[in-house]
Amino acid sequence: MPRIFLHSPAPVLACLLAFTCHTSRLAAGNVVVIVKDTKGQPVTDAVVSLIPLEASAPAPLHPPVEPVVISQHGEEFDPYVTVVAVGTHVSFPNLDSIRHQVYSLSKTKPFEIPLYGSGTEQSILFDRPGIVALGCNIHDWMSAYLVVVETPHFMKTAGDGVARLAELPAGRYRLDVWHPRLAGESRRDLVVAAADAATQTISVTLKPDRRIRRAPDGAGGGYK
Amino acid sequence: MPPTALAVVTSDATTRHPGLTVIPHALRFRRFSLRVLTLLLGLLFATLMATYVVVSSANDSNARDHARANLELAARIVQSAIRQRLDFLASSASVMAGDDALKQVLRTGDNRTLASLLQSYTQRVGAPVIALYDADGQPLASSEPGMDDENTGPFRSLIRTALGKDLAESSGFAYLRNKLHVLIVVPLYAPHPNIFGWFGLAFPIDRAFAEKIKDTTHVELTYLSLDSPQQPHLLATTLGQAAIPTVVNAAAIANQARADHLPRPATEIIDLPDDRYVTLTWFQAMLGANPVALVLQRPLSPELAPARELENSLLLTALAAFAVATLLALVIARGVSQPVRQLAAHTQTIAAGDYATRITLDRADELGQLADAMNSMSAGLAERDQVRDLLDKNVSPEVAAQLMRDGAALGGEEREVTILFADLRGFTTLSEKLPPPELLALLNRYLDRMSGAIEAHGGVIDKFIGDAIMALFGAPVTQDAPADRALAAALEMERALVSLNAELATEGRPPLAIGVGVNTARVVAGNIGSHRRLNYSVIGDGVNVAARLQSETRKPEYGANIITSAATLAACRRLAESGLPVSAFSFRPLGYAQVKGRAEPVEIYAVS
Repeated sequence: MPRIFLHSPAPVLACLLAFTCHTSRLAAGNVVVIVKDTKGQPVTDAVVSLIPLEASAPAPLHPPVEPVVISQHGEEFDPYVTVVAVGTHVSFPNLDSIRHQVYSLSKTKPFEIPLYGSGTEQSILFDRPGIVALGCNIHDWMSAYLVVVETPHFMKTAGDGVARLAELPAGRYRLDVWHPRLAGESRRDLVVAAADAATQTISVTLKPDRRIRRAPDGAGGGYK
Repeated sequence: MPPTALAVVTSDATTRHPGLTVIPHALRFRRFSLRVLTLLLGLLFATLMATYVVVSSANDSNARDHARANLELAARIVQSAIRQRLDFLASSASVMAGDDALKQVLRTGDNRTLASLLQSYTQRVGAPVIALYDADGQPLASSEPGMDDENTGPFRSLIRTALGKDLAESSGFAYLRNKLHVLIVVPLYAPHPNIFGWFGLAFPIDRAFAEKIKDTTHVELTYLSLDSPQQPHLLATTLGQAAIPTVVNAAAIANQARADHLPRPATEIIDLPDDRYVTLTWFQAMLGANPVALVLQRPLSPELAPARELENSLLLTALAAFAVATLLALVIARGVSQPVRQLAAHTQTIAAGDYATRITLDRADELGQLADAMNSMSAGLAERDQVRDLLDKNVSPEVAAQLMRDGAALGGEEREVTILFADLRGFTTLSEKLPPPELLALLNRYLDRMSGAIEAHGGVIDKFIGDAIMALFGAPVTQDAPADRALAAALEMERALVSLNAELATEGRPPLAIGVGVNTARVVAGNIGSHRRLNYSVIGDGVNVAARLQSETRKPEYGANIITSAATLAACRRLAESGLPVSAFSFRPLGYAQVKGRAEPVEIYAVS
């Protein structure tokens, strides 16, 4: 678990905030979600979110004050998948010595940070839920996803395909699983009871990985 | 005489006796069937061989032509593949030129970012190498690090060419990082027609390219560097390792021929370990290096495979034709040789004297006619034999032979003969006593014995006159000692009569008695009679004398059964004087006898 937190600070903050806010509420449960592909292999970088269905008022999201970071390092985005709550700022620091550009044409948040050198340009506010595909118009192989959710209960699966969601108020939820290669949708309803520690195993069908791989330096390529 | 005429004479001399041409023994056939078989099969073999050779050589040259055409097509496909690739790169370059990201990067003047952008482009376009040069051909950035020094030369050379000739693009072959590439430079207009710089793109002509060409054309492709012309070195090939040295050598030879401006065939045949290959070598000029040899090869055996199939079926047909021809030849030969052998056997039958057997060949052809002719011949021979047989019975065998030989010509000759006359005494009395059949039987019995005695001594029965016999010695065939023979015959007759009488005595019949007259005289001998009927005989006084001498034996005072003349005695003496062996006769002089119609009496002797 700590490994995931290191890689993805945003959910850490969200969880911490949720924990502090709802600590007074005794009726809280935990859900462990295991995402596997059709072959039974654990799926990394799957975004798991729980949207409350019975709450009279929307759950407060408490976006973090500091921007969530998606860095550009070694001509790659890092991390590949990031999940944030609506209203979160994201910054794109360039850690390389060459210039980069960041853009998205996704309807959730079309934007462009024009070519810039090392350092951080302005951060971008993501104020609508949805999927944001990120790219660099110079480096075709650079790609990343930002998932903006309208719930404080979200987590990204680690290498073992497990996402643990803690301190969930009892009640009915819709469990959404998303992955860059997910075929179709994966959602189900579930009820979280107090002091519950239910394990949800979710099997998803993944499409083949069609990411552009960066050509190794000096390989010369081949005739195609 | 001109020398040519002399030569003709000489050659004439050698062929002067065509009739004496000797057929070598080995070529003579004991059997007709063998001859027909050899002829037919020989003819068939020659025809089939000629067909096979013609078809085979046509197939061979056809296969080569086909392989050559395929190679030329493959060469065009190679060129077209390169051209298409270049066209694609050129149009890709113009799309890249329109990319706003490129313009953004170019505005910053940051060549390192530019290099990483070019790296992105290499993936978009599929060109392994993309470099960017400024308007003067100075390198700005390259997708591959290390492309800015010596490897950039070929691009700059192309840019110079394009600039010099004001071309929209320029391409050529060059080595990049010691590997064969095709290069193209395309201007980067910003904006059109202002040339901001040049895209340099390249793609490798490597093993993968060759394999791709091989997939479409089934042609083996090999590239050889000629940087050291004597020792080309292999860049890439679709061939196996074992073939490489041969191909390298062939390329060296072809390159030498090219360097020496010798005429080279469009294609050549090279024997590689696995097959014979039709080979087309093409020398591609390089930017800043010696040309490379592009060797296109196509194995000959797949081209020949359908031809081989044809040749195999031709061979099968030939074998079948051979078998059929053999059978046919045997049947035909048998059809001829069998009746011929039959005819030959029949000829031998005829030769052996069997004229009765007939040959039956149920055929209408010449052999059938021959069989018919042989049958006619047998019939003719049988008839002749019958005639001869009858002749033998009616005339003496000698006369018959003489008639057979000389024909029955009327004519005559004078010659000395000894004439013998024999007569049965008391025949008239006998004829009154016996009934005619018995009489004739007795007469014939008597004549048979007498004839035997005469013929035993070489005498020829001239005729039977009732119970009388006239025989000749020395005619019609000349013989030695006719007089001697005649007397010997007369004595033999006497002895024969003794034995006949002994037989008659046992049968209870009275004995017979004969009188014999023998005379030697010159007479006229020949065929006497009409045209329709002839007798060989002798006429003359001497004949009368002989008859007269026979009559003299009836005189009891002589007491002699055989009377001869002095002429015959003289003839016997002449013979004895000549030293030839003679029979011992005793002559008893009987004095002179008067012969009818003759003035002088004849001196007569009794012989015993």
